[in-house]
Amino acid sequence: MENSQTESNRENNGGFSSPVDSEHKATKLRIQSVAAPHMRAFHLSWISFFACFVSTFAAPPLIPLIRDNLDLTSTDIGNAGVAAVSGAVFARIVMGTLCDLFGPRVASAALMLLTTPAVYCSALANSPASFLLVRFFTGFSLSTFVSTQYWMSSMFSAPVVGTANGVAAGWGNLGGGATQLIMPYVFTLIHHIGATKFTAWRIAFFVPAVFQTLSAYSVFFLGQDLPDGDFAKLQKSGDKHKDKFSQVFYQAITNYRGWILALTYGYCFGVELTVDNIIAQYFYDRFHVNLHTAGIIAASFGLANLFSRPLGGYVSDVMATRYGMRGRLWTLFLVQILGGCLCVLLGRLGSLSTSVTVMLVFSVFVQASCGLTYGVVPFVSRRSLGVISGLIGGGGNVGAVLTQVVFFRGSRFKTETGITLMGVTIICCTLPMMFIYFPQWGGLFWGPSSKGITEENYYMSEWSKEEQEQGFHKASLKFANNSKGERGKRVASAPTPLEGTPESYGHV
Amino acid sequence: MGLPTILFLAVISLSFLALNCYANGTFSALQNSLLVTSSPKAGQVLKAGEKNITVTWSFNKTFPAGTDSAYKTVKVKLCYAPISQENRPWRKTKDELNKDRTCQHKIVSRPYSPSTNTFTWTIERDIPSATYFVRAYVFDTKDKEVAYGQATDAAKKTNLFEVEAITGRHASLDIASVCFSVFAVVSLAGFFYLEKRKGKTSK
Repeated sequence: MENSQTESNRENNGGFSSPVDSEHKATKLRIQSVAAPHMRAFHLSWISFFACFVSTFAAPPLIPLIRDNLDLTSTDIGNAGVAAVSGAVFARIVMGTLCDLFGPRVASAALMLLTTPAVYCSALANSPASFLLVRFFTGFSLSTFVSTQYWMSSMFSAPVVGTANGVAAGWGNLGGGATQLIMPYVFTLIHHIGATKFTAWRIAFFVPAVFQTLSAYSVFFLGQDLPDGDFAKLQKSGDKHKDKFSQVFYQAITNYRGWILALTYGYCFGVELTVDNIIAQYFYDRFHVNLHTAGIIAASFGLANLFSRPLGGYVSDVMATRYGMRGRLWTLFLVQILGGCLCVLLGRLGSLSTSVTVMLVFSVFVQASCGLTYGVVPFVSRRSLGVISGLIGGGGNVGAVLTQVVFFRGSRFKTETGITLMGVTIICCTLPMMFIYFPQWGGLFWGPSSKGITEENYYMSEWSKEEQEQGFHKASLKFANNSKGERGKRVASAPTPLEGTPESYGHV
Repeated sequence: MGLPTILFLAVISLSFLALNCYANGTFSALQNSLLVTSSPKAGQVLKAGEKNITVTWSFNKTFPAGTDSAYKTVKVKLCYAPISQENRPWRKTKDELNKDRTCQHKIVSRPYSPSTNTFTWTIERDIPSATYFVRAYVFDTKDKEVAYGQATDAAKKTNLFEVEAITGRHASLDIASVCFSVFAVVSLAGFFYLEKRKGKTSK
């Protein structure tokens, strides 16, 4: 019975176990399934991203031991924390480029395998400098965020891409919270078996390292870049054009929407990373809870990602069905500004219970904003999806570095003042969203262009006349067609498309 | 307000203050009635897990007899010198005893006796590298601190010694780290080779 049902499903779905669109991207996200290629890619993405988060934030819960073993000062610890998130700024852009050129499967497996040595070598650290270096290089693994989003954007269609991106990234981000619970437990186990404290923490690092290595192998052997096959195979058969790096990069950096979203992402994801680093010590110092309690509060902030980031992605998709891209943009704008207001409030509260409550509500808003952002990102560029995702993702880390350096280093500001000022900065850095405009769909304050620019015009403008003549743009055309849902449910008739290629080569 | 009222209020407030000090236990309220010496010479460096420290303590007879009537137990601790507390708020000295993080490592706990007590302690392997001095706290029957003595002066500048910690590293761990790392990178190279071959083989 089950088999014939699955069989007829497959026939209906053109050989796939999920329903698909013309690009063979899945139009539904079936979390309980691990069927290749769509759902398998989904599970491989979030698990490997989770592994990288566990590795990158494996040190913080063990800091009380590491600081004694390596004789670290407060400044050393702060610097290592900044180093852990700053490596990914550059790595995310590189990862984006690699995805565009080689595909997410090879790009993420390669990056994970190249960064596991840093995690293994954490066991060798013997000074503040070596500690900083291992945290810096381990942090590069956070660039698997970009390959996760690229992969989901390649496997899932417009109506569910926000949800797929949000769940994959949210469940990956969980690693930052889970590691606060995993690492101390692993350490205690090893210490019990007989190792001295200063050796036990070193052995403990092998756990995230091996997990990351195994994830990389799984991605390589079980994953597939696109619904129809891998990059290498498709490029050979001519179904996929092997793109030029210079063009991909140029199209990405000249798209102003990518830069504005990089700024706003810096003030949702960047804020999330900053809070991960400072919140435990804030509750410990201001409210005099003990270290264990402070750790649990810190972990709960990260663990909210289980539902809050996916919720953001899901809400983005729901708003799009009714209001199109404008709905996605408005929701992101409002949710992020509300998050900023909650942050301002958090810094001004003096009681423990109200602070924890506001912090939890704030975590939902800030993480939902991250999910909402990546509901918009897949539409900014088709040709340079990877580099754009990487730029915006990198912007997130830049936000984390800047915020920590300006508000949470040294003793210029008390932590609660820093939190309030961070909230004000969130609000100010979200305002530039007003300038994001898609001619085919509109922006916050303006509707679609009266010149009748269509999705095809927008995505074709990324390819030159010569490239179009050679047919390199075919995948973009399919995507353009599938993205027409971003118009929302409009009463007015669809605009007549402009004839032929736009005269000017460059962005519409 | 008449003088009696003022006096009454003063007595009440002072008692509250005194009670407060007693309730929260501050270091400044403790009597420095123990004489403590430790064996390391000033500036000596001792290896954790290998070297010993010999601590001696006794009641300081210059204090009036009967001062030590409430003394029950003595806990001798290894404490961080100011230089090792710099830029390390987790080792901060605070007057309130339950918030004070100066002395984090216990050497020994003994019942109180006014005569000379000695104890030789092998420095444990989880003691971090830092500059230290030795302090002994005296507790009463309610397990509250009532007195102390330390092997250094009030400014914590004399008789300080250093401990050199174990690294925690072992040759086997180093080799394992390097091997696993090399394996990861080599397997990556293998994967690239596989990919290239898949690309070349005709379908």
